[in-house]
Amino acid sequence: MRQLLAAIKKETLLLVRDRIGLAILFIMPMVLIFVMTIIQDAAFRTLNEQGIPIVLVNADQDSLGNRIEFGLSNTDLCVLHTEIDGEIATLETVRKAVQEGQFLIGIIIPEGATDAIENNVSSLVSASLGMEDETVGAQSAEIQLIIDPVAAKSFVVSITSRLREFISGVKARIMFETFNTQIAELIPEDLGVETGTYNGEPIITYAEEYASELTGDVQPNAVQHNVPAWTIFSMFFIVLPLVSSMMKEKEEGTVFRFHTIPTSYFLQIIAKIFVYIIVCMMQFFLMISIGLFALPLIGLPELELGNSYSGILLIALGCSIAATGYGVLVGTLATTQQQGSILGSLSILVLSAIGGIWVPAYIMPDTMRTLSEMSPLHWGLDGFYGLFLRGEGIGDMIPHFLKMLIFFVVCIGLTIGVQRFKRRG
Amino acid sequence: MSSPTVIQIENISKSYAGAEFPAVNNVSFSIQKNEVFGLLGPNGAGKTTIISLLCGLFPPSSGKITINGSDLQSELSKVKNEIGVVPQDIALYPTLTGRENLEFYGTMYKVAKKDLKERIDLWLEKLEMSKSADKRVSSYSGGMKRRINLIAGILHNPSILFLDEPTVGVDVQSRAAIMLHLKELNASGMTIIYTSHHLEEAEKFCTDVAIIDNGHIITRGNPIELINENEGCKNLEEVFLKLTKIKLRD
Repeated sequence: MRQLLAAIKKETLLLVRDRIGLAILFIMPMVLIFVMTIIQDAAFRTLNEQGIPIVLVNADQDSLGNRIEFGLSNTDLCVLHTEIDGEIATLETVRKAVQEGQFLIGIIIPEGATDAIENNVSSLVSASLGMEDETVGAQSAEIQLIIDPVAAKSFVVSITSRLREFISGVKARIMFETFNTQIAELIPEDLGVETGTYNGEPIITYAEEYASELTGDVQPNAVQHNVPAWTIFSMFFIVLPLVSSMMKEKEEGTVFRFHTIPTSYFLQIIAKIFVYIIVCMMQFFLMISIGLFALPLIGLPELELGNSYSGILLIALGCSIAATGYGVLVGTLATTQQQGSILGSLSILVLSAIGGIWVPAYIMPDTMRTLSEMSPLHWGLDGFYGLFLRGEGIGDMIPHFLKMLIFFVVCIGLTIGVQRFKRRG
Repeated sequence: MSSPTVIQIENISKSYAGAEFPAVNNVSFSIQKNEVFGLLGPNGAGKTTIISLLCGLFPPSSGKITINGSDLQSELSKVKNEIGVVPQDIALYPTLTGRENLEFYGTMYKVAKKDLKERIDLWLEKLEMSKSADKRVSSYSGGMKRRINLIAGILHNPSILFLDEPTVGVDVQSRAAIMLHLKELNASGMTIIYTSHHLEEAEKFCTDVAIIDNGHIITRGNPIELINENEGCKNLEEVFLKLTKIKLRD
């Protein structure tokens, strides 16, 4: 026990006296959380809140054109413009303005678009009532979308969905009115049948609900998604200073001495694991504190921790042991400082990419999604999402923790194997 | 009556994976208690491999090593308590102070806390390091680092001490201090196995030397006897050059 305490003291002193290393351990993750959350929050707002500039040319100036203009003016999806530099927008000026990046999308509603709907509906109604079609003119029209190539596909889809919704509404109203008129012509006036009015109220409505145990208004947002993701990423980057510490010992000759003294070298490894787990947990608390206290100061939502603090601690501990175990394995496998740094950083980048840190695992192809299940970063992330977004409890976290514990045991087992193999020469 | 044998090496060979020739090839010798045994040879001759094998750092490919009557392979833990090692590299933590390094290594050697403090103070005093003991090793000169490196290997009072080039890169004063205290340790009963490229130092310090080249022992004996046996040689360096030839080594 005295030897273990001495080894822990030594590791702590080495860490505390390496000021640049300490700065990397704590300041870099803080910067990462701030930068990534602000960037991702901007992307979130882009799609869900406001500010996307759109320009509209309403050449129709009838029901459809007016409905679209009114609808887009009153949605929080975008900011609608009908003028460019003080002039009424035209097809040519829209094309130029979108090309120059002034607007993300330009919408051109052609002249006679409403007439086309009316003609189409009239033909359909006449055909269904067995009446002669007296319609004259076009039965179709094309709404033109001019899209900036930088526009996200999802945003374009949102706009076209809205347009389809407006067109359907206008078409339904015209259909109702045409039917009313045609039927009124067939019914003798002396029967005293009154025609109804179209109220346009939707029959089917949507109710959105997040599948979460959490009560209150916890909504998925950039903070809820990014703080746990980048916290785990930073915790796993503990691999680099840990590998560096092991490589220094190899290069400075202290490992040589460890192998000649009666105390097992694994005592040094255990001390390292202990100290670096503490560092990981400190990183975790620091970054969660940023989500709770610092991000709201710059206008971002406050991180909601869910219902289970014990679950949070368990997953944080799981990530810490998985990260340190992996660091010890990389430090054992590598033979030079440079090799260790490259192997450590690249493997963490790969594990984080397949683990869903950069892009959500659910949008990955099947093969990558299967691979994702094998990344310890994914286990941790899934655990935190369960706690922060779905309101899961400590019981739900045990499988995640066990996976990370097994990963740690496998890493240490491999470390022992590699050590023995290397010492055999 | 001759001194008891403390190290017995029987037909040891060591081949590294991928190497064309064995680093140590069927070497046998023994070392008596209280001897100062010098293992001399050009670069790549196999000196450090033999020291590493004797310290139990890795096992030989074949052969047997017995230290203080214990088989090195099967009783490694017991043997490790009886040996001290002063490696060629400065195996110290640069960001810890000299004293912190010594406290750490002394504890790893399981020296009792009270004894450890006394021994550290004693050796720091002897090697004139007391004033600098609480400064970081990174601020030390080469000679100061070597002195702390030596103390770290002897804090547990080993009966056998392995020294791999203990005076390389140090000034004359530090070297003299180190050699003086090594002689004291030997006089107190410690067996010393020593490698060096300073043949003049080895000639004065060692009671027995073995010259090794290409993994084989070429000759072994008392330095004075070896000089006398080799016609035309006035010192150990000339014996060494005569036996290992002048050809440069990698």
